[in-house]
Amino acid sequence: MEPKEQSKEKKEKLWFWNWVIASVIFRLVLIYFPKNLNLASRPEVSTPLTSLRRLAEGYWLKQLSMSPYAGSMYHGSPLLLSLLGPLTVKRIEGQPDHLLCSLVFVIADIVNAMLIRATGQNLQMEYTRSLKLLDHVKLSEKPEIIPSGDIAALVYLWNPFTIVACVGLSTSPIENLAIILSLYGACKRQAPLAAFGWVIATHLSLYPAILIIPMILLLGYGTDTPPRKLFLQRRNVEVGDNPPNDRCCEREEVVHRSEVPHVFSWRPVIHFFCWTSLWSVYVLVLCGISVKQYGGLWELFKRTYGFMLTVQDLSPNIGVLWYFFAEVFDFFRNFFLIVFHGNILFMMLPLAIRLKHRPCFLAFVYIAISSMLKSYPSVGDSALYLGLLGLFVNELADMQFSFFLFCGYVGVSLLSPVMHNLWIWRGTGNANFYFATAMAYACLQIILVVESVSAMLNHDRKLRKPLTELQDGKN
Amino acid sequence: MSLFRFNYRHMANTLSLYRTVKRLGIPDERIILMLADDMACNARNKYPAQVFNNENHKLNLYGDNVEVDYRGYEVTVENFLRVLTGRHENAVPRSKRLLSDEGSHILLYMTGHGGDEFLKFQDSEELQSHDLADAVKQMKEKRRFKELLIMVDTCQAATLFSQLQSPGVLTIGSSMKGENSYSHHLDSDVGVSVVDRFTFYTLGFFERLNMYNNDSLISLFSSYNPSMLMSTAYYRTDLYQRHLEEVPVTNFFGSVMEMIHTDSAYSLLSRKESFRVEIKMSADKSVPDKKRLMDNPSRLDQISELNIEDQHGALKRIWSTIQKEMEKVEDVDAFVSYGLVLIVPLLTVSMWLTW
Repeated sequence: MEPKEQSKEKKEKLWFWNWVIASVIFRLVLIYFPKNLNLASRPEVSTPLTSLRRLAEGYWLKQLSMSPYAGSMYHGSPLLLSLLGPLTVKRIEGQPDHLLCSLVFVIADIVNAMLIRATGQNLQMEYTRSLKLLDHVKLSEKPEIIPSGDIAALVYLWNPFTIVACVGLSTSPIENLAIILSLYGACKRQAPLAAFGWVIATHLSLYPAILIIPMILLLGYGTDTPPRKLFLQRRNVEVGDNPPNDRCCEREEVVHRSEVPHVFSWRPVIHFFCWTSLWSVYVLVLCGISVKQYGGLWELFKRTYGFMLTVQDLSPNIGVLWYFFAEVFDFFRNFFLIVFHGNILFMMLPLAIRLKHRPCFLAFVYIAISSMLKSYPSVGDSALYLGLLGLFVNELADMQFSFFLFCGYVGVSLLSPVMHNLWIWRGTGNANFYFATAMAYACLQIILVVESVSAMLNHDRKLRKPLTELQDGKN
Repeated sequence: MSLFRFNYRHMANTLSLYRTVKRLGIPDERIILMLADDMACNARNKYPAQVFNNENHKLNLYGDNVEVDYRGYEVTVENFLRVLTGRHENAVPRSKRLLSDEGSHILLYMTGHGGDEFLKFQDSEELQSHDLADAVKQMKEKRRFKELLIMVDTCQAATLFSQLQSPGVLTIGSSMKGENSYSHHLDSDVGVSVVDRFTFYTLGFFERLNMYNNDSLISLFSSYNPSMLMSTAYYRTDLYQRHLEEVPVTNFFGSVMEMIHTDSAYSLLSRKESFRVEIKMSADKSVPDKKRLMDNPSRLDQISELNIEDQHGALKRIWSTIQKEMEKVEDVDAFVSYGLVLIVPLLTVSMWLTW
């Protein structure tokens, strides 16, 4: 049996790495197409926050000793400007433009995939361990558990959205890298890494700040486990089995059985907060020095976070905010800004309460909601949560409407450029055509979130059933 | 303001005064010139594109840099009043507007045919004295001038400003009610009179002046000899508060700006040097220039923070030291790149520490 298993494992690994290398080659081939297939000019791919063209403009302004935020082109972090700026200027003879930046994005994608795979492996390991603690019947019934880490990594790499975001010169691979780094760090209980990832993710785009709750839950409780109730029930069942004659033994057994991660350990969380403050001070000092000549930190915050929160640029994208804010009266503008951004915040607490035993899945749901309701969404954000969806294939195997969602995503991604062309270039359509696809996209995302959460909760209920049967049998 | 060739002298009057006023320092952007402008390129002008105000033809008034703002059919009473009151259509360009504010000194010179309480415009309209008074009153309400000098060279000129009541207005006319103003001499070559007497003697007064003379207005007004003018040059000072002995003619006819001389350089791009220069300045001068204070408020804040250090807590001190250190960093880009590169080893060290 041993050599056969080993060869099977080797085959699986080979298969995985083949696909990874194939995706990298595919990306490189696409980069060498003329003008990056004009993907960088698609509104779905490059938004005012992620466009590399704007970054190049900001860098050029900085080289002229002007503020990179003058002219309202660049709205990102000055650190990203120092990192990617020099690369946008270097040109190599005979190679496509921005080759170095594209290579950076490809590398970022590869690192993302590796981190997702590692996170998935970690998750799966912890999950099987907690299922074993439950002594679960189901475990024996299902010998074939799909390696969710590999699947998720491959889904991330081969998702057309990710490829388009990478080849289309948007900075979303780097933002995704920060978010995945923080998730990985939190899953591995590495407080400095998680803190660093979270600080950088919040600094680059404001919305990952809501991931603080899953971070705290991950560091405190550990990774995804079945609900606490099951462990308590299991312990009761075990206690009921043994007759209460040997008290000390029983207590030991009880203690031994309840060695499950219910207890919220504060130490990693406090470490996390310390490291967060350290990294934030570091990042703020660097940013402050970068922009001290151009108005200081307040000006920086106004131009980056202020721009994101007040939705100043109303050019069309795949989100729903631009259409609305193009027609809202000035008097109500602030009110509706608060409503839209509050929409993300309202959902945080109920989801956290319901899904606190599954912080990784909670992080996925938060990311999905924020990429739907953020001010300038792009397909790069969707790439992230679709990749993370792959981490939960085992639990979400019974998700309803999966085929409908798949077809819907394909349909929207095909129709959206067509509608944009009809509206802008041919003039035979109008903004409603394009906004219809954006609304359909938002609906699909909502359905995805709702269905995945209900599938996960159903899975938890299914776990509970054998235990209740066991208990009923005893009673 | 007058059409037709036999009104050559009106155009010459205006252009001569235009030239004088420019010579004494007023730039074109601050002059609104309204001319019928049909003289220089008239088919009957023996000297095409040339206008003279003297029979010796020494000076061509229609030279290279004459900027006429309103010409021909644009010279109407309506446009004139619009210029004065500033009530233009949206499309009117800035060069045709009187862009004055409450500190401006305005010189208004009008010449042409006139009569009892009116001035003729283009031989078809007239500007009446109460129209002018109304316009000036509006100007005063809207605070479009501080001092206004109206100089009129027509027949019965003094009647044109008889209705004025706004304060800050000084007026002089070439003749009184019932008197005519006469032209100075006839140029037999051009064939018409080329200049009026009042303007001729005014120009004569100004020819010997330059920008820095401070001859007073009273010397100008008393230079008019009624026997030479063949009319009485009458001026009204009841609306003007200042004494005419104290007001230099360049108050209206020229442009001498008050300049404050500072020693330090003003650098635009190289901000690093400017900081160093300013440190030296504040050390030398006990009372820094007002302009300096406006330029670098951040430095002042720092100085003030150092002074009142004792009052605030330790946190403020730490923040001010951090700010000082940040200010000291000269090569920003290198520092930021080093900072970014430093993240990687810091991260690995921290991860190794908490393993």
